[in-house]
Amino acid sequence: MNEFLAQFLVESRELVEHATDDLLALEQVPDDRARLDSAFRGFHTLKGAAGIVEFTAMGRAVHAAEDLLEAVRSGEQPVTADLVSNCLACLDQVVRWLDAIDAEGALPIDAEAAAARLVARLASPAGPSLADARAASAAEDPDPPWAGRLRADTAGVVGARIAIRYTPSADCFFRGEDPLGLMSRLPGLLALEIRPLQPWPPLEELDPFAANLVIDALSSASSKEVADHLRPVSDQVRIYALRQDDDPVFPDRAAKVLKAQLALLSAPRGQEMAGRWASAGRVAANVLRHLGMEAEAAVIDAALARSLAAGDPAALLAALEATVNAAPAAAPREGGDDPGRIPSSPQDAIARALRVDIDRIDAIVNLTGELTVVKNALGHAAERARQGTDPEGLAQVLKQQHALLDRLTAELQRSVLAIRVLPLGHLFRRFSRPVRELARTLGKTLRLVIEGETTEADKAVVEALFEPLMHVLRNAVGHGVETAEQRRASGKPETAVIQLRGRRQGEHVVVEVADDGRGIDVVDVRRAAAARHLATTEALAALSDDAVVDLIFAPGFSTVGAVTDVSGRGVGMDAVRSAIERLGGRVAVKSRAGEGTTVRFVLPFTVMMTRVMTVEAAGQVFGVPFDAIVETLQLARDGIVAIGAAEAFVLRGRTVPLISLARALDADTTIATPSVANIVVIETGGQLAALEVDRFGERLDVMLKPMDGLLGGTTLVAGTTLLGDGRVLIVLDPLELLQ
Amino acid sequence: MAETASKRILVIDDASLVRLYYRDALERAGFEVAEALNGLEALEKLLVFPADLLIVDINMPKMDGLTFLRTLRRQDPAISATPALVISTESGPQDIEATHAAGANFYLAKPLAQDVLVAYVAMLSGAPA
Repeated sequence: MNEFLAQFLVESRELVEHATDDLLALEQVPDDRARLDSAFRGFHTLKGAAGIVEFTAMGRAVHAAEDLLEAVRSGEQPVTADLVSNCLACLDQVVRWLDAIDAEGALPIDAEAAAARLVARLASPAGPSLADARAASAAEDPDPPWAGRLRADTAGVVGARIAIRYTPSADCFFRGEDPLGLMSRLPGLLALEIRPLQPWPPLEELDPFAANLVIDALSSASSKEVADHLRPVSDQVRIYALRQDDDPVFPDRAAKVLKAQLALLSAPRGQEMAGRWASAGRVAANVLRHLGMEAEAAVIDAALARSLAAGDPAALLAALEATVNAAPAAAPREGGDDPGRIPSSPQDAIARALRVDIDRIDAIVNLTGELTVVKNALGHAAERARQGTDPEGLAQVLKQQHALLDRLTAELQRSVLAIRVLPLGHLFRRFSRPVRELARTLGKTLRLVIEGETTEADKAVVEALFEPLMHVLRNAVGHGVETAEQRRASGKPETAVIQLRGRRQGEHVVVEVADDGRGIDVVDVRRAAAARHLATTEALAALSDDAVVDLIFAPGFSTVGAVTDVSGRGVGMDAVRSAIERLGGRVAVKSRAGEGTTVRFVLPFTVMMTRVMTVEAAGQVFGVPFDAIVETLQLARDGIVAIGAAEAFVLRGRTVPLISLARALDADTTIATPSVANIVVIETGGQLAALEVDRFGERLDVMLKPMDGLLGGTTLVAGTTLLGDGRVLIVLDPLELLQ
Repeated sequence: MAETASKRILVIDDASLVRLYYRDALERAGFEVAEALNGLEALEKLLVFPADLLIVDINMPKMDGLTFLRTLRRQDPAISATPALVISTESGPQDIEATHAAGANFYLAKPLAQDVLVAYVAMLSGAPA
């Protein structure tokens, strides 16, 4: 994929996101001029981008939406839900195209039909005024496109004034006409292109006596001369006068530019500003210098100086007019001005791009520099070791370099992690559309307020949050928020508000979904929990309201009788909780009857660095995530009681199940049970459990690598990391371990 | 090319793809290129980057191209006379009229082939052919 296409993808996706935001905000506040302008600009820039990669179908579709928004800007159109939906549909199509380009590495070839459908859908109901006006202004351009191409193909053709397309009739030879002879004698002939009218048939079917040609030509002669010459075949010829700057001295482009400067200089007084006409003087001198006309340029310079001194452009104007009208013909040749093709570079398969702050890249570049210094120092140390004369000094050097390397690797790790950081806004913006659609489907009036978009979190966290957040938001729209009538009846504003917030809290990132709906009905939860036998009626009665609310995280819980399209499938919050816990986070819910519900995720800033404690069991070293560890303790064997096949002990009045790690991993080993057990108490999913290990190890910060390949499906294991001595440390997954 | 290298072009466009496209073409042709995302930023940039030519988009946030040109032309003579080339998709006759009225020296319509861009930039900035 070439560079432009890659950049086009990145930029267009951002533009679509922003335009989506703007449109949704506009729907809420239809007279928000800033949002309207911003949305309009988004479509406008998308159109420009499509033009650069020559994706004309997308350009057309986006242009139609742009026109629609232009009609809103000019007051011809009100902002309606339909208008917003139509513009969003256009963005949806753009995203589909972008995905296709991402997948195929090329522009989709079948985009025309989709574009045509969108253009029809977007056509302004106020009438085709805008699109038509633009088409009309384009039609004033008399140059047929093929003439421009012919000019560009025959680079160096100067002074073309007439374009001719001659399509000899099939029987022209029988009429005694000689198309090629006629054209070759055309006055002022500059360029000629001959093509078959229809693709040539197989040789056996070819009729050599029938003409099958289109002849395009450019001429510098006048249209009268050309028309006279072609009179015998006038019925088969079309003659176009090309746009002309009738200037015998300067090549087209230079003449155009110089004339524009004359126009600037001779603008009506009152509009005069020194900067305006002085810039015209500079441009005129620049053009002349560019053409190698140094003497003429110097004349303009001098006139400009006089004009500036006098505060009057007259001197400059006179000098420029004189130059334009009288300069000697010293013009280099010029080609046509057709928009050409973007040069394409070799196709590279590119992965999804990640935008990285340049400072962060610089930090890494600096670190690599420092690492090189350490590498060189180690080379020296190796040399000293070979000489073997000063082991003490050598040890000193190695120790120093080790300390340095230690610091640098830590910094490098931090810097690399910083690259993987994304603002939550990336994620949050993706919810605006689904929430809007859902609210419309359910007939609820609500506003999604997004806060803390700039809060950053590890890319892995941000990406893994989509599903759980979507679920919580669906719940908020489907269950949390009441209909407008219900809200009115309970004295609340009709428009419900759902807030999606993110903020950094120390080493954690907090993401909250807060609605101002009816709150979780504790009575309903108790009833549903009892109906699903999640707990006994007595136990339920004993639970505090907060604890009852927590039951929504229980597997298989749902309060809604009918399974709707939205949520209430009973596989809700428990899935959310385990997804968040897999990320090393926690979920909490707070609810007040009649006032609303807040679901809070507390997540680690990064999932890459994990602090573990090493433990030994059955002669192996394992890691246990530090986050999960509540405490470590040593317990006399007689404090442990057997419960069926398992064991348990009592910790501060709570019974905690105990698993022997050695036995859990290798049931056959007969293990000497020491009189004092080493126990690690862990907490996961709100439950306490304990692991018996042979020995406690040390605390380590490790970069956890998930298991892949053959071991990818292994449960119990959260990942692996390399220990300093090269051994692999297996880090256990406490959640799995307990199940 | 020695003299071309000394020509400094300030590209003012809010679309990064467009800036990249211009920069790519102009740098390969030996120009020195700086970028600004809107008119306000361009006015600031000009104080530290005296340009030989400005390439100006019309539709930009914060300060659009026409406002920028009108403001520029009223500035101190050191920068007010900087040649300006407007390149925009707004290509109706009234749009072209408006750019000239605002003080642009020349107007080109997007999309624009890179070789055409380089040809005009060379001419307007006075680089040797």
